[in-house]
Amino acid sequence: MNAVGKTVPRKEALGKVTGAAKYNDDTREPGTLHVKMVTSTCSHGFIKSIDVSRAWAVPGVRAVVTGDYLPVLCGSVVVDHPPIALGKVRYFGEPVAIVVADTEQLAQQAAYLVNVEYEPLPVVRTISQAMEEGAPLVHENLESYKKEIKDVYPIANTNIIDHIKIRKGDMEKGWAECDVVVEGKYIMPKSDHIAMETRNVKVKIEPTGKVHISSSTQSPYAIKNELSKTFGLDEGDVIVTAPLIGGAFGGKAPVHLENIAYIASRAVGGRPVRLANTREEDIMVSPCKIGVEAKVKLGATKDGILKAAELTYLVDAGAYADTAPRMAKTIASNGTGPYNIENLWCDSICLYTNNPYSTSFRGFGNTSYTFCIERTLDKLANALNISPFDLRLKNAISPSHTSPTQVKITHSNTGDLAKCIYRLNELINLQEDLRVEVAKNKVIAKGMSCFWKTSASPTDAVSGAILTFNKDGSINLICGAVEMGSGVKTALAQILAEKMNMEVDNIHVQMQVNTESSPKHWKTVASMTTFMAGRAVISAAEDAIKQLRSIAAVVMRCDPSLLEVGGSKVYMKNDPDNYIEFKDIIQGYKYQDGNAFGGQIIGRGTYIMENLTILDPETGKGKMGPAWTVGAQAIEVEYNTREHTYKILRAATVLDAGRVINPKTAKGIIMGGMSMGLGLGSREHFIYGDHGGILNSSLRTYKVMRFGEQPDYLVDFIETPSINGPYGARGFGEHGILGIPAALANALTRASQVELDQVPIYPELIWKTKMGGYHDSI
Amino acid sequence: MIPFDFEYYRPETISQAIDLFHSLAKQGKQPMYYAGGTEIISMARANSIYTGGVIDIKGILECNEFGYRGTKLVIGSAVTLTNISESNLFPILGMTVARIADHTIQGKITLGGNIAGTIIYREAALPLLIADSQVVIAGFNGTRQVPFSQVFDGRIKLEEGELIVRFIIDSKYTTLPFFHRKITKIDKIDYPLITVVALKKDERILVGFSGLCNHPFRSIEMEDCLNDKSIPREERIKNAISCIPAPIQQDIHGSGEYRRFVLENTLMDVLEM
Repeated sequence: MNAVGKTVPRKEALGKVTGAAKYNDDTREPGTLHVKMVTSTCSHGFIKSIDVSRAWAVPGVRAVVTGDYLPVLCGSVVVDHPPIALGKVRYFGEPVAIVVADTEQLAQQAAYLVNVEYEPLPVVRTISQAMEEGAPLVHENLESYKKEIKDVYPIANTNIIDHIKIRKGDMEKGWAECDVVVEGKYIMPKSDHIAMETRNVKVKIEPTGKVHISSSTQSPYAIKNELSKTFGLDEGDVIVTAPLIGGAFGGKAPVHLENIAYIASRAVGGRPVRLANTREEDIMVSPCKIGVEAKVKLGATKDGILKAAELTYLVDAGAYADTAPRMAKTIASNGTGPYNIENLWCDSICLYTNNPYSTSFRGFGNTSYTFCIERTLDKLANALNISPFDLRLKNAISPSHTSPTQVKITHSNTGDLAKCIYRLNELINLQEDLRVEVAKNKVIAKGMSCFWKTSASPTDAVSGAILTFNKDGSINLICGAVEMGSGVKTALAQILAEKMNMEVDNIHVQMQVNTESSPKHWKTVASMTTFMAGRAVISAAEDAIKQLRSIAAVVMRCDPSLLEVGGSKVYMKNDPDNYIEFKDIIQGYKYQDGNAFGGQIIGRGTYIMENLTILDPETGKGKMGPAWTVGAQAIEVEYNTREHTYKILRAATVLDAGRVINPKTAKGIIMGGMSMGLGLGSREHFIYGDHGGILNSSLRTYKVMRFGEQPDYLVDFIETPSINGPYGARGFGEHGILGIPAALANALTRASQVELDQVPIYPELIWKTKMGGYHDSI
Repeated sequence: MIPFDFEYYRPETISQAIDLFHSLAKQGKQPMYYAGGTEIISMARANSIYTGGVIDIKGILECNEFGYRGTKLVIGSAVTLTNISESNLFPILGMTVARIADHTIQGKITLGGNIAGTIIYREAALPLLIADSQVVIAGFNGTRQVPFSQVFDGRIKLEEGELIVRFIIDSKYTTLPFFHRKITKIDKIDYPLITVVALKKDERILVGFSGLCNHPFRSIEMEDCLNDKSIPREERIKNAISCIPAPIQQDIHGSGEYRRFVLENTLMDVLEM
C-alpha cells in the first residue's frame, strides 16, 4: 500500500476549502454571554482605583470583575501571573477588569466606561535596563513564587527569571588554538504570531461542577491540568475540547484567555461565556514572541576549524515568565548552531521587562541564536578569507562530535547536515556569484544559514492513540493532537495505514480533540507531534494487529504467528488467498449457529519521551530532546544600491526529514516557515510609543508577508532515518523559519556591504547603517 | 464589531441627503456622510469616532457620474478607486489610487472618501491639485463649484453638512506626461513614506506630495525651485527641499531624515521627465 511517502490530500481539506469546516468561534451555544477586557494603559504601575460604576449602569451587563474577585496566580514554569491584574500592572495591554454582558457590543460599551487610575512606576523597557544594578523590579517578590518545574532558578531582588550555563571543554586551550577571533552583537525584537484565527475561548460551568472549555488551543490537556491546579478543581471535572485551529505558531500553546473566561463564567453563575480577541488584543494583550539581544565571540584556526565560542544570550520575557525560561534554556543548549565547537562558554539569561509577555513562537528561540551564530560565521569567513559555504561545511556537526550539552551525535539523532549543505548548493549555487552587479545600482546577492532544532519538552511528555473499528473494516483514529493547519491528523492516518498495510481512505480521523475521550497528547507543539503521536499510533496498530491475529487464528485454525494483516484482511503469510476480512472479526466473530466470540477490537498505543534529563545547573550537561533535525537555507536578493530597497528573489531550504510522510504537505509546511522567517527578517517587530504601548498593534501597521511578495521557494529533503522516529521521520513543523532571518541578513550584508546585525531589515535600517544615521548627499 | 448603534440612510438625491444631515444633526446624532465606509467602519470599531447616523451617498446619481462632458472629465465623489484605476480616463489619478490600500479595499474606497477622510495621506488629492481641477460641493445653501486648491489645504474645508458631489478635470491635463512614485517602509501595500505625483505641462513640472508632511500638498514655491533651469538639478532640489511648507513627517514608517533622503532620490527622477 505504501501510505508513507505519498502525497495524499489532507483529511480536513475539503471542509476547509468549502467553508464548511467549523472553528471554535464559529459555533455558539444559545444564551452565551460575551466577555470584553479592560486593558492597562500603563506599562508599569500600581492600580490606585478601579471605578466600575458606570460600566454596571449599561443595560445588559451581567458582571464587572476585577482581579480581587478570584485572586490567583498561574504560570506553567514560574507561577507569577494573575489572570486579571492584582494591585499592579506590568505591561501595557494587561487585563485589569472584565465585563460580561448579553452582547459583545454591550460588553465593549461597558468596558470603555471602566475608569482605572494608576500610580506609574519606573518602566523597564529594554534588556539592558532590566540587567542594571538597582533596576526597578517587575516582580518584587520573585522568591515567593511557586515553581511548576524543578529546573528553573529565579534570582530574588533582580529581574532574572533564569540563568542557564553551558560549560564545555577548556576555554583557555580553545582560544589558544585560534588564529582568528571575531565578535558580533545582535538584536531580534519582540513580534507577534499573527495566526489568521485570533485566540478565543468558550467556557461554561455546569451546576454539577463540570467545567466545559472549548478553545482555539494547542494544549487542551495543559488547560485541564493548569485550570484544575489554579482554581482547585478536580481534573476530571475540567473537559476541554479543541476543534480545528486556524493557525497557532506557538501562540496558542499557553493557557491565557481560558483563565479569564473561566473567571467570567464563575462570575455569572456558570453561564456559557465567550471571549474572543480582536486582532489588536491578540497582538497587545495575549503573549508574543521573545526578544533577544546577544554577544557572540567565535574563534577558529586559519584553515577555518572552529575552536572556541563565548556566547551571551539575553532573553526579554516581558512582564510574565510563561515559557520564556524554557526558550532561554533551548537557546543555551543549542546556541552554537549545528557546528562542532569543543570549547564552549554560553550564558543565557531570561529577564522580566515591562514589555508584553512572551510565549512559544515557531522555532522556540532557535531562530534567535541561529541569527547570531550565522551572522558571526559570515564575519568569520570574511576574516579568514574562506567561503561561507566551506566554513559551514568544515564545521558541520556530525557523528563523533558532541552537542553543547554533551550529547553524543549520531546520524540517527541528528541527520546529515553536510548532505543538506551539498544539496542546497545544487539548488542555488553557493560556491560562486555570491554578489554580482547586474545593472546600474542593481546587485544580486546570496546568503546562507544552517540550523538545527530539537524539542524542549518535559522529560516525561506523553502521547497516546486509540483505534476503534467500523463494521466495514475501516479504522477510527483517536488521538489528542490538535489539527492546527499542519496536516498532522493526515500524517498520523498515513502512518497507521502504512502499519496496517491498508488504504489511507479507510482511516477516519477524529478531528476534534476532547480531553474526556481522546488519550492525552502532551501539547501540539515543538514539531514533535508526528514523532510522538506517530509512535503512539504505531504502538496502537501493533496492539490491534495482535488482537486481529489472535481472533483470526481461532477462526482460521492456525497459530497467530502464521498470519499477516493487510488490505483490511488477515491472511496466511504463505497463502494470501486464504484470509478473513476485518469486517468479519473486528466486532467479534460469529459462527453459523450464532455463537460469537472475540468482542470488539480496540487498539491502544502510548508513547513517552525516552531518556531525557534535566540539565546540570553548572555545566548544562544533559539530554534535552530526542533528536535534532538539521537543515541548510539560502536567500537570493536583488538590491538597489541607490535606494537600499530590495526584492527577495529566491529562498531555498534543504532539510533532513528522516523520512517524509506526505511530500506536498511537507513542502507546504517548510514554505510557510520560510515565509514567516522572511517576515521576521524584513518587517515584523513591535514599535513602542512614549506611553509604552505598541504603536503598530493592527494589521494596517504591523506588516506580515503578503501574497505576491513571496520569492520562488525551493524546498528539498534529505532522508537519513531517525531510528526512534515513526518510519524514520523527524519533526520539522517549525524548522522552515529557523535560518531564514540569518540567510536574509547575510545576503543583504553582502549586497549592501555593511554589517546588518539586527532584524527586521528594512531599507531605512540599511541606509542608516551605511550612513551612520546622517545623510546629506546633495 | 462596532460597539454603538447607529441609523443608516440611503437617500437618492443631494437635497434629501442634505436635509437628512441637518435633521439628524439637530437631533444630536452627529451624522456622517458615508460612501465606501472603510474608514468609518474601522475607526468606529476602534472607538476612534462616534456617529448616531450615517447617510450613504452611493444612491445619489450625481455622486456616481464618471466620464467626459465635452472637454471636461467629471468624476463623482462616490466613484470607487477601482473604477478610476480600471477606466484609465485620467492615468495619473488611476495610478495614484491603485496604490492606495489594497485591491479589495480599493473596490470600496471612493474618491470623495479618500479626500475627505481623516487618514493623513489622501493621495487621490495630489493629481487633482496639480491638474487645477474644480470641485462641486453641495450644502444647505445650494451647490457651488470652486477650484479644488481653494478648498483643499491638506484636508478639504467643508462647512457643517456639506457634501462633495464631483470633481471636474480639464481634458488637457489628462494626456500630459506624468510621474508617480509611492515609496513605503518596505511593503508594497502600506502608507507612504512619500508619494510624489507630477505632470509636465508646457515644459513646467507640476508636483504634489503626500506623506512628506502631515498632510498632502502642492507647493508652487517648490515647483518654482524645481523649474528653475538656470541652476543645476542638485541645486534645484536643494532649494525645493528648503521650501517644504511644514516639518517633515517622522513616525513609525520612517524618520524625517530618511524621508528627505528618498525625496531627494525621487526628485532627481522627477527632473528626468
